[in-house]
Amino acid sequence: MLHIRRNQIGEWDHVRIVRMPLTPKTPASEAAPVSMDRWPVIQRLMFSSEFGLALLIALTFVIFAGVLPGFTSTFSLFTIGRQIGIDTMIGLAMMTVIVTGGLDLSVGAIGVCSAMAFGWLLERAGMPLVVAVPIAVLFGASLGFVNGATVVRSGVHSFIITLAGMSIFFGMMIFLTKAEAFRELPLQVQGFGKWRFAGVISSLLVVSVATCAALSILYRFSSLGRRMLAAGANPRAAEISGVRTGRAIINCHMLTGGLAALAGLMVTARTGAAVPSMAGQLGQDWLLPAFLAPVLGGTLLSGGRVAVFGTLLGAALVNIITSGLLLMRVGEFWIQAFLGFMLLTAVLADRARHVFLLRRGMI
Amino acid sequence: MKKTILNLALSATVLAAAAGAAWADTATKVALVPGGPHPYFAAWEKAGADAVKDFKLGAGDYRVPQKWELSEQSKLLESLLTQGYNAFLIFPGDAVGTSAVVQEIVDNGGQALALAGCLKDPTPALFCMGTDTGNSAYLGTKELIKAMGGKGKIAHFTGFLVDPNTQLRIDAVKKAADETNGAVTVVQVIADIDAPQPAEEKINAYLAANAANVDGIITTAWVPAVTAANSLRKIGDKRIKMVGIDHDEVVLKAVKDGFVNGTMLQNPYGQGYIGSYVLDKLRTGCTLKADAPWKSNALTKKFIDSGTVFVDATQADTYVEAMRGISKTLMASIDKDFLNCK
Repeated sequence: MLHIRRNQIGEWDHVRIVRMPLTPKTPASEAAPVSMDRWPVIQRLMFSSEFGLALLIALTFVIFAGVLPGFTSTFSLFTIGRQIGIDTMIGLAMMTVIVTGGLDLSVGAIGVCSAMAFGWLLERAGMPLVVAVPIAVLFGASLGFVNGATVVRSGVHSFIITLAGMSIFFGMMIFLTKAEAFRELPLQVQGFGKWRFAGVISSLLVVSVATCAALSILYRFSSLGRRMLAAGANPRAAEISGVRTGRAIINCHMLTGGLAALAGLMVTARTGAAVPSMAGQLGQDWLLPAFLAPVLGGTLLSGGRVAVFGTLLGAALVNIITSGLLLMRVGEFWIQAFLGFMLLTAVLADRARHVFLLRRGMI
Repeated sequence: MKKTILNLALSATVLAAAAGAAWADTATKVALVPGGPHPYFAAWEKAGADAVKDFKLGAGDYRVPQKWELSEQSKLLESLLTQGYNAFLIFPGDAVGTSAVVQEIVDNGGQALALAGCLKDPTPALFCMGTDTGNSAYLGTKELIKAMGGKGKIAHFTGFLVDPNTQLRIDAVKKAADETNGAVTVVQVIADIDAPQPAEEKINAYLAANAANVDGIITTAWVPAVTAANSLRKIGDKRIKMVGIDHDEVVLKAVKDGFVNGTMLQNPYGQGYIGSYVLDKLRTGCTLKADAPWKSNALTKKFIDSGTVFVDATQADTYVEAMRGISKTLMASIDKDFLNCK
């Protein structure tokens, strides 16, 4: 029987084949793991990745606000929030495929291709904004479908398939657009990127928070989301239990493509133009934020566990620290090294936490 | 416990407020920001420091994005604006994409010039000052053709394709060759090699296979110039003529030793120094003249040429004087023709 449930610290992460009791007399506790309800809510909260991250964010924010001129200025808070919004969306795009135990190196290329398609639809095809946005997102999802279907059909690891996809998508985009930017976009595009709520909250951050909420509902309350988690946690068990893992993996890649497209549109709104170099050569500039946010947030690289709001917090921590270090005039070259160190520490810390909880029988 | 937390929060607020007051300084604080790490821009650091001393600026700091990425440069510029810099000299990470962050600088009371590379019009940058890259490449190719005796085959090694200057340089080299009515042809253009690894790999591979079929080399980016000069020295054959670009020691030594015929010097120091001066003037009451004699290029109609000069073996030791002369002339021209100061 397939069990997809929360563990004792509240994570949706486990798929187990549990032998069903042969007789009604068999105690339920032998057949199924201990119920999470036996652990106090506060204990569950304190052992979650999100709690640690939130504490760290609060601490770094207070320190930087206290010692750095301008850190809490309206402009600074707005730009930090805007960057958190973009990095969160990039992180969510990667998270949705990490759930399957795979990865997608082409998130940047898909994001740029979708943004360029968006620019073409608006500038050359003269489509209205409300039509161009969903088409661009669907275009991203279709590129994700190409990745997912190739991974499932070929059986080759997603690393190789998406590495090839990255070059193919980006190369085609450069060939078709001749690397020319689309900058005659409707004023509403850049206007949306500059829009602020309450003077400091970027509209792009609001989009990302709304996307996090939608993804949380998907993974917690829909069978589609649970099938995605099941396919990632233990593909064989999921298959035996009737989950079509191939289809689930393709769905994950499509979701990744759609979210990468949204991230591309957000960057377009920020710059007011669809620019081929928005994510660097082959879209590689997005790779570090794509992995950093979900891994810091608690998403397992081996798949099966998802941390949607953790990804938001991960992106927030990275951007607050980056912004603080820039204001402290720490050499710009050290910041990149610091981010790499942070990624490594997050992976090791998560491993240590996992071992700790395992030894105490909490997972 | 609650009291301690309250005290901490209050202290943080007071500190932030005090820092904010200091931040709202009115002196001209110039930030010189290239698109990424590159030796060409190193002269901007001294230019900024000298400008602080000579023009009594609040700051003239050279700040380099950690990578050649549009997003990294944008983040750095936003951070510098937060730190209170109010005058920006920017090499655009992208001729179009950088405009948005420049607009934010302007919206928040700052001013910006595009330096060494231009933003595409319409742009919130006041104007663009840099080498007339097309003209420099054209003049360099003419010098090369002269050294080749007016005939032969040329290979052109150049910079990043995302650099808006690269296409201008490719076109200019072709134009100079076309003017020979077929006596000189450009047989190979190798671009996207303004970094050590790709430059070493592609230039050495090309020369290993085709050195006998090439009579001249024109380089229009820093790293390819250094790599090609080294390669010609290793080959040891002075039959292949070469004109380089910029003032790297390797290139200048190769010019003196006869492996390279000359180099087209640009004026990065003058760009940083004069750019800082102009921004300070504009912040302290001067305006740009409506009838200023702007030049134009493929990206903008408000362009000032920061100067270029061909240096051969006879001038390799005195090139600094030549560049100082150009900067001095440009400075006088800025005051007279471009600025309106009451």
